[in-house]
Amino acid sequence: MSQGCEHAVEYVYQYLDAELTWTRRVRIRWHLRKCVACDGAYSFETRLKAVIRERGREEPPPELMNRLRALIREEGSGSADS
Amino acid sequence: MADQATFEQDAMQYAPQLYSAALRMTRNPADAEDVVQETFLKAYRAYDTFKAGTNLKAWLYRILTNTYINRYRKKQRRPSEVELGELQDLYLYRRLGEESGATRSAEEAVLDGFVDTDIKAAMESLPEHFMLPVYYADVEGFSYKEIAEILDVPIGTVMSRLHRGRKALQKKLWNLAEERGLTGQGS
Repeated sequence: MSQGCEHAVEYVYQYLDAELTWTRRVRIRWHLRKCVACDGAYSFETRLKAVIRERGREEPPPELMNRLRALIREEGSGSADS
Repeated sequence: MADQATFEQDAMQYAPQLYSAALRMTRNPADAEDVVQETFLKAYRAYDTFKAGTNLKAWLYRILTNTYINRYRKKQRRPSEVELGELQDLYLYRRLGEESGATRSAEEAVLDGFVDTDIKAAMESLPEHFMLPVYYADVEGFSYKEIAEILDVPIGTVMSRLHRGRKALQKKLWNLAEERGLTGQGS
């Protein structure tokens, strides 16, 4: 494992989370172009992150919004009366 | 200063996401809705302290997280950090490489094979101080700075928890993939 690979593995999440400085980002991109192993790992992590985002969310019960609105309005009118 | 009269219009759009996060935390629809309702009440009452033009979504998540922690954390029992042990980097990718030679088709079989309930189960298996940063970064797309504000911890702490949390999540996903026979060898 080269130094470039170690660097790439260390920063993989910061890269995917768009939390790296421009210089680091460019350096990693340059490495990925030359290194099939790291490029494969980055590609996998990118796809995994997308899967987690797409399939990690829950749908609220359909009545949730109405119940919240009613709650806020009740609270609002309550404080207006007092 | 934000105006209470516009609260509904400003904040309601975030309710579905907040509910989703609350359900991950409480693992129970009734409790999740309770947490969201309490969050909205607190946010409404405190809305005049919210600085208009700043990050409303992060502000609401901070209230949600605190509400959950204050009300429900005592009940929770999840594996401690120690029980997770040290895991290798790129855990899932490397295990897949060992078992299936890391071909693109083996990777796709696993990634496509994960259903919503797998992701949910893996997420909920994490200790909460790992689960929250991972959920906020991966599902909600919050920045490290926003997560630090929501959880009221330094950015360095967010980064280390994310790092360890993601490895733990990947280990759980690997176990699920094995159980379901999604990996090369089947099981």
